[in-house]
Amino acid sequence: MAPVLPLVLPLQPRIRLAQGLWLLSWLLALAGGLTLLSSGHLQVQLWQLSTFLAPSCPFAALPRVALAAGAVALGTGLVGAGTSRASLDAAQYPPWRKVLGPLLVAATAGGGGLLVLALGLALALPGSLDTGLEEGLGTALVHYKDTEVPGHCHAKRLLDELQLRHQCCGRHGYKDWFGVQWVSSRYLDPNDQDVVDRIQSNVEGLYLIDGVPFSCCNPHSPRPCLQSRLSDPHAHPLFDPRQPNLNLWAQGCHGVLLGHLQGLASTLGSMLAVTFLLQSLVLLGLRYLQTALEGLGGVIDGEGETQGYLFPSGLKDMLKTAWQQGGAAHRPAPEEAPPEEAPPTEGPPEA
Amino acid sequence: MALLKVKFDQKKRVKLAQGLWLMNWLSVLAGIVIFSLGLFLKIELRKRSDVMNNSESHFVPNSLIGMGVLSCVFNSLAGKICYDALDPAKYAKWKPWLKPYLAACVLFNIVFFLVVLCCFLMRGSLESTLAHGLKNGMKYYRDTDTPGRCFMKKTIDMLQIEFKCCGNNGFRDWFEIQWISNRYLDFSSKEVKDRIKSNVDGRYLVDGVPFSCCNPNSPRPCIQYQLTNNSAHYSYDHQTEELNLWVRGCRAALLSYYSSLMNSIGAITLLIWLFEVTITIGLRYLYTALEGVSNPEDLECESEGWLLEKSVSETWKAFLESLKKLGKSNQVEAGGADAAQAPEAG
Repeated sequence: MAPVLPLVLPLQPRIRLAQGLWLLSWLLALAGGLTLLSSGHLQVQLWQLSTFLAPSCPFAALPRVALAAGAVALGTGLVGAGTSRASLDAAQYPPWRKVLGPLLVAATAGGGGLLVLALGLALALPGSLDTGLEEGLGTALVHYKDTEVPGHCHAKRLLDELQLRHQCCGRHGYKDWFGVQWVSSRYLDPNDQDVVDRIQSNVEGLYLIDGVPFSCCNPHSPRPCLQSRLSDPHAHPLFDPRQPNLNLWAQGCHGVLLGHLQGLASTLGSMLAVTFLLQSLVLLGLRYLQTALEGLGGVIDGEGETQGYLFPSGLKDMLKTAWQQGGAAHRPAPEEAPPEEAPPTEGPPEA
Repeated sequence: MALLKVKFDQKKRVKLAQGLWLMNWLSVLAGIVIFSLGLFLKIELRKRSDVMNNSESHFVPNSLIGMGVLSCVFNSLAGKICYDALDPAKYAKWKPWLKPYLAACVLFNIVFFLVVLCCFLMRGSLESTLAHGLKNGMKYYRDTDTPGRCFMKKTIDMLQIEFKCCGNNGFRDWFEIQWISNRYLDFSSKEVKDRIKSNVDGRYLVDGVPFSCCNPNSPRPCIQYQLTNNSAHYSYDHQTEELNLWVRGCRAALLSYYSSLMNSIGAITLLIWLFEVTITIGLRYLYTALEGVSNPEDLECESEGWLLEKSVSETWKAFLESLKKLGKSNQVEAGGADAAQAPEAG
């Protein structure tokens, strides 16, 4: 029953391990805190943009999982810092010794699992943003005129504020507004011949115009904003409809929002990767420290050499022992943690 | 008959010194806070200097920055003094400096209070600067081809969008100026010619506003032109329509923004000032208590600390006399030893 990946640890390297572990734990706590902030920021952004994202879009799950993973990482960091500090002082270590085993298992399983899940989501989900935004923005555009319909009465205000804040117009460009009726029927004069003509000119009976709302206007334009009759080259003097770039915002809101949210998701993803790395190192270090100190029988200052290891025996032996013990008792000792909780954080259990 | 006498034994003196040491270091943090508040205010004023004619007074943020730095310096020095106060050897080096130092502290507190007052009084000067600046800004709105003024349109548009306001006092200010550049007017059109002829200065005035005045909360698409003509738009009454454009004028909007900023900064600075006064009083007590230790070898003895050695009126009289003596001669006489103690107490 050879221990897995053993490491001889005399007193000095043990102390250095504890000190290095203390530093790494605080770094992990910092990384966990930053992940929490990042995912909180993303969550707030998603709440604000919830009208423009289809409800079926799974992207909203990412900040929540990342929040949980960040919290666990923060907790692991604090525990690691406390343990490594205590391991240098004989009087403080015993209470830590009791809780360390189960804590390690929980942190590896829970924390590691959450982090891997969050990383996976951060890589996979931004792809689904495209369809979600497409649907959401389409619905918002169609409901722009429904300022008196309960449930959609805020669409106009929210879409106007979105276009003003993010400096975009329509879904992919200003021409999207030509295809929807964005003027509420309540403000259309039924006696006006032009209105009647327009409504009769299309199958659905919509009042379509070649104009855009005021929120599409670009303040950088040197001339006052031209919002109506944009396809008619003779309607406005000195205006070339082929080059409306300065007059209105050129980008579509789809592209702008996609870039914005994908940027936030990639920042979060990199934070998660760093946290994952730090957490693996901290858990590894804690495991070695724990087993080394167990070898000394809990006497910290012992000058003797001990061995730290990952697992006391190979995978098959551990499974056998766990199976036998599971029959006899319900609580396996901390060193013989069941192998199915072996996370991807630790290296391959045996050669 | 000393003012506000307090008896100090050794333990009390030690506690006073330790408490003062802690308070001084907290005060250094407070000084950093004041410095950053002053910096923030300066940046906010610079951001909008375009609509204030670049003539706004930076006195308040500059003095806040100065006060923050001075407070850090004074309080770290005081912290060092308090730390050394209980060790007679180290204290002896500081002793000759303490009287002028306390005088400087009192002066600093007075100046600090004046700065706090200025924070609350800045509103008045800002109002007139804003009125002039916005008027000019709107005048130059159309000059997008004139170098030096070409950014004014963008600035005013962004301002109206961000602060949710329109015009100087209201949207009607836009009716009185020509905000559409001549370059984009079709002079062959009859309507344009009529409008230009209809006023003395030959300006193209419309009853319309720029798009940045539009209120997104309105249920109908924004009406920007022919605002006073009810028949130009379906189901529109300009007397009762409130949601179409922003109702507030930009002067009022900016003024209320800066007022609330100044009031919060003033309130925080006032609290810090009170803290500083407490520290100065504590330092005075510590100084007089340590002076009162009659036998420097016996540290356990009791001493008395006070704010002023004599009553206020006597101290003031002695202060005036010492000023007169200073005017008459340059020599410090033995009789002036009392008077020398009075100036730093005044």
